[in-house]
Amino acid sequence: MNIINSILLRFALSPSFLYKRMGVDTRHLKVILSAKLMMDDRRPNTFQQIQRKKNNKPVSYATIGTMILSAVMGLVFLASFLAGKTYETKFTIYFSFYVTVLASILIADFTNVLIDIRDNYIILPKPVTDKTFVVSRLLHIFIHVCKIVIPMILPAVVFLMINKNILSILPFLFVTLMATLFTVFLINSIYIIILKITTPARFQAIITYIQIIFAIVFYAGYQLVPRLIGSSFLSKFELSERKGIIFLPTYWFAGAWQQLYGWNNSFRLWICVILTIAVPAFSIWVVIKYFAPSFNRKLSMISGSDLDISINKKAAHKKTSSTYSSLLSKLFTGQGVERASFLFTWKMMIRTRNFKMKVYPAIGYMIVIMVLMLLQNKTFSFNDIASQTKAGITSILMIIYFSNLLLFAALGQITMYEKYKAAWIFFTTPVNNPGKIISGSVKAAIAQFFFPLAFITVVSLLIFCGPTIIPNVLFGISNELLITAIAAYLGISKLPFSSPQQNNTGSVLRVFVAMILAFLIAAVHFMLYRMTIVVSILAILSLTATWLVLDTVSRLSWKKINSSYVDE
Amino acid sequence: MEPIITLKNLHKRYGTKQVLKGIDIDIYPGQVIGYIGPNGAGKSTTVKILCGLITDYEGQVYVKGMNLRDHLVEIKSCIGYVPELAELYDVLTPLEFLSMMAELYNMKKEVASDRINKMLKAFGLETNINDRMDTFSKGMRQKILITSGLLHNPDIIILDEPLSGLDANSVIIVKELLSKLAREGKTIFYCSHMMDVVEKVSDRIILIDGGTIVADGSFKELKEKQGDTSLEKIFANLTAKDSLSAAADELINAFN
Repeated sequence: MNIINSILLRFALSPSFLYKRMGVDTRHLKVILSAKLMMDDRRPNTFQQIQRKKNNKPVSYATIGTMILSAVMGLVFLASFLAGKTYETKFTIYFSFYVTVLASILIADFTNVLIDIRDNYIILPKPVTDKTFVVSRLLHIFIHVCKIVIPMILPAVVFLMINKNILSILPFLFVTLMATLFTVFLINSIYIIILKITTPARFQAIITYIQIIFAIVFYAGYQLVPRLIGSSFLSKFELSERKGIIFLPTYWFAGAWQQLYGWNNSFRLWICVILTIAVPAFSIWVVIKYFAPSFNRKLSMISGSDLDISINKKAAHKKTSSTYSSLLSKLFTGQGVERASFLFTWKMMIRTRNFKMKVYPAIGYMIVIMVLMLLQNKTFSFNDIASQTKAGITSILMIIYFSNLLLFAALGQITMYEKYKAAWIFFTTPVNNPGKIISGSVKAAIAQFFFPLAFITVVSLLIFCGPTIIPNVLFGISNELLITAIAAYLGISKLPFSSPQQNNTGSVLRVFVAMILAFLIAAVHFMLYRMTIVVSILAILSLTATWLVLDTVSRLSWKKINSSYVDE
Repeated sequence: MEPIITLKNLHKRYGTKQVLKGIDIDIYPGQVIGYIGPNGAGKSTTVKILCGLITDYEGQVYVKGMNLRDHLVEIKSCIGYVPELAELYDVLTPLEFLSMMAELYNMKKEVASDRINKMLKAFGLETNINDRMDTFSKGMRQKILITSGLLHNPDIIILDEPLSGLDANSVIIVKELLSKLAREGKTIFYCSHMMDVVEKVSDRIILIDGGTIVADGSFKELKEKQGDTSLEKIFANLTAKDSLSAAADELINAFN
């Protein structure tokens, strides 16, 4: 166990006389906490999971990694001190960052790390008292949060020391403690509310979606913040003058700091102090008193364990609306293996949590990139698009040629699956043309991730520009498909959902090549834009070429495919 | 009579570890082979080679007179593989999964869906046909696996611990099923640790240890040769390196 964990453990265990008086067995407490901290060290944290990169080396210094990441985040939070006139405003923004980031880290960590259902059958059957167990959990949460929070607030502490004085730090630490408690119990309440509303089985799905939203929000922020920093609007910004700001919890923390440091003695600031202390305390009490017992019980049902099969059965009986997908499958694939693969891939893409977590954020990234790029065109206007002027054409082409980003994200993930050994079915059955399995899956990805977008694009452009745009739009879309087909032919040589998660340098290369290709084709398109007849003919040629390439993919034999059963 | 499966001088190496060190077996149609051996002996490896999961090996394998290397796909259509508690794409329902398997076996749609319904009904799973398999117990999954291996009515059935996870009633169903299939002339290759089942079900027992075959014959023949009453004892005699009761003694002694 590394040094940080040991220090924190020793600190947490220090009031041992108190624990003993409460009826806790300190020997058990120490051994449980030591084991948990050792496991934490070997488990990659939330950030490392959300990132696309994944290396196969076992993680054993996860703690240090977490702390460094937190410190970096803390550094980023300092940007909030650039905004606003008073410290009230600056701190409101600071604490908003703080609570949001802490919440998003904890939201995943809670189920994975902090409330580990394996305790139910590893620790509980042993002679460990309930009190010891509860305290061990609370202390584990406390240590875990400390490891995140302490590095996170360090940059701010240093900043305050430099810009203000030592006296400003104490109120800051106090207020941060309250804000942390607030966040922890906020997450707790979110969990409880979700559990009350839905079944434990859907719980994981909802948490996944929340994480995806967070990932997108961060990406947007990451793109926006540097641009906003320069603007003068920000420095004149003042929050405390706005009505209703008192309802924002992060303002309470800011106000409380202002009161405790500046001692302004204004009514509003004193309210802030009271709220800062009372709300976290009250929520702790409420959670422990009312929610904890049922919460633990429901939480233990989350990981798909069959403790309560009837609840799980209800979740499983969901009607799968398969008519849309079977219609599409009949439209795009031939009878037999290709169609089966299309339907298989379609369902797997919709139902696999890991796949969605890795691919859906790309929706957000795409929107953010497109919005930013359109905004950057200083002369951007809808009129430009409608009348298809040169600037308008650039925007139109950008929209069309970026719309397959999501599809590429999906194609990059489509060969990987955590339970990849299930692919034995492809190797023990008499499949003559494994290429058909691949082409079926590529078509499913195109149908699921590209067509809805293409449809929206076509319809909106039609509305804006009228029917004159049809040849160009068709050309653009069929080029996109062609690029995808070529990328699939060159890159995807594995069967869908048949390999372990890994850092796919091949796919990075593929995306790179695809981007270059897209850029070249877009440039050619730009030049040919006004030549309607040429464009129309080329559109048809491009569609034909796409069909041909996909057909070649479907003819790939076992020898050409880089796939064999992965037996470890 | 020509053998339906022939393994000739089969060798398989994983890195530096030689797992199969020259397996020679002739299996005749209609035989029920009990393939037994300790952990790590090479049972699963042999089976995986036969089913097409492992394609790089040394030696020759012939199925129905065809060389496995040259006619892999054709051979796969006559073999039904039932793995032990294997991974499944369990976000799918049994109907979705088995329909896909049927497609991969090139079965006609009507035949497939009729057979799927009948087999699931026989296993008592007809109410779960549209439930996602990630809510299934071990036994339910194993039943799906058994169904998936028999769906296309193969002539050769290869099973790896097929009774794993099944309750007593289901075990009886499967044992009966295997006997009936044998009576129909199917060839059955059955890997297991459960000696009592292997004793009763197999015509011929092949014992593999350390990558080579150490015994081959009917249960009666093995009893005569080894002079023991149960397969368990024969197995222990031929494979246990040290005395097994000595190992139990050591465990008890840890408490003194």
